[in-house]
Amino acid sequence: MVTAVTAATAGTAVTAKTHSLGNPMQRALERIGIQSEDFAEMAGPLGVTPKETIYAQGTLKLHHYLPLTDEVYRVPVLIVTSVVNQPYILDLVPGQSMVEFLLRQGFDVYLIEWGRPRREHKDLVLEDYVLKLLPECVARVQKDSGEQQLSIIGYCLGGLLSVLYAALYSARHAPHQAALHTAQSKRALKNLVCIAAPVNADGMVSLKAWLGPNFDEEAIIDQFGNVPAEWVQNSLRALRPFGKVSGAMNLLNNMDKPDTVRSNLRMGKWETDNIPFPGAAFRQLINDFIRGNKLIKGTWDIGGQRIDLSQIRVPFLHLLAQEDHIIPYASSQQLLHMIGSKDKQEAIIKGGHVGLVAGRGAELRMWPTLNEWLAARST
Amino acid sequence: MIENDWSKMSPVAMWRDWVVKSEQQWSEAVSTMMRDERAGSVLNKQIDEARMMHKMFGEMAQMGLSAANLPSRTDFEALDERMGRIEDGLAVLSAELVQLRSALVDKGAAVTLRAKPARTRKPVRTRKAVPASKPASRKE
Repeated sequence: MVTAVTAATAGTAVTAKTHSLGNPMQRALERIGIQSEDFAEMAGPLGVTPKETIYAQGTLKLHHYLPLTDEVYRVPVLIVTSVVNQPYILDLVPGQSMVEFLLRQGFDVYLIEWGRPRREHKDLVLEDYVLKLLPECVARVQKDSGEQQLSIIGYCLGGLLSVLYAALYSARHAPHQAALHTAQSKRALKNLVCIAAPVNADGMVSLKAWLGPNFDEEAIIDQFGNVPAEWVQNSLRALRPFGKVSGAMNLLNNMDKPDTVRSNLRMGKWETDNIPFPGAAFRQLINDFIRGNKLIKGTWDIGGQRIDLSQIRVPFLHLLAQEDHIIPYASSQQLLHMIGSKDKQEAIIKGGHVGLVAGRGAELRMWPTLNEWLAARST
Repeated sequence: MIENDWSKMSPVAMWRDWVVKSEQQWSEAVSTMMRDERAGSVLNKQIDEARMMHKMFGEMAQMGLSAANLPSRTDFEALDERMGRIEDGLAVLSAELVQLRSALVDKGAAVTLRAKPARTRKPVRTRKAVPASKPASRKE
């Protein structure tokens, strides 16, 4: 219930109760006289770990989280998030935040927020992400931290972008488009961590069937410019058709546990808060990655340069979810074999795609695994 | 003495519990059906229809709404884009201020910056949190 203070007469403040705008169910309960908690307030503000935006360009923002320890590891961490999801899944609320966990373990954390593309960004291609924006962010982290090396953690599609970046900048002939950054970036990457990063489109059986030759991506791009957020959301939801029903039932069965309800509402808010997919990048991903499966075949060119994952020689960790319906194990397991590093490891963790990074399971299993691996390689 | 959780004995709660437990199987069954290329074709046809309907309804609604002097979805989207531009502009300004502040410090100006922590931390074996259930891992 929202309490509003209105000035009824001069010098007198009257406290009046007004209907919350948030939730129709809550309004209905209030109308029949049942007081209920404000669902929107229960979820609380998300992504609140203190941070500074140290670089912004277009919709991109590079955030630096304020350290929470007196002493940090030498090597800073740059988190690369997905282009179709809000980054605050990695920083929901204090106590349910991977970012906060890393800060408390003594890491110096930076995060790339790609932002919401508008119609004017419909021509953004993967080259823009991998050869311009990501290297620029790496350079900014180097400048801000004063360190030449950094670790990259890429989640979901952010993992794919990180792998593409690492392959291109580890190659003998680094891309000429980013000549300004080449000298720094070639030696910049100290460690690479991917969290549920897709590499083999043949393993994404449902998406591959839906986005086959009959799928008309050009019509969507023509009409909307970017793939609308609700379309992204519906297609992800269709990968687990009854997931939403199950989630609602689970919520109702746990109504007496405020912490579970809060956590559920936070996740629910994030799940319905997708980001439009830039049209040209979507076209590229459909044709080259999903239909062509060019990354696995070794025939994918980005900015005129062939992607060869065996060029990646830095320590590598891949964290995967056992019951991931968005990035199934079959679509990500080959990454470990393809990376050229000697120091490489894969950890399969109980849970789903989102539970891998947020929630109780992440707190107990994934975060400690990540910390243990990364800390040993961050000095 | 162990107390029974009577709320769990509610038939509705038990039914909901059953739905939660069997959801994965239902989703898996439907997903398996949907994996077929023919299902993909049907789905794509529906997507095309939905896209066309979206366009037609959008145009019709826009005419009606503008006749009634009310904003349409297009107007809200335009507003959203303008707000997005303002938000991005503010982020640029904010980042510039951070850069300016650190540049001033570099030039010896009397500006207080938050003290940076020493980058000397070392991993301590006893500090690490042990996962409750050890994840399966493989090395190559």
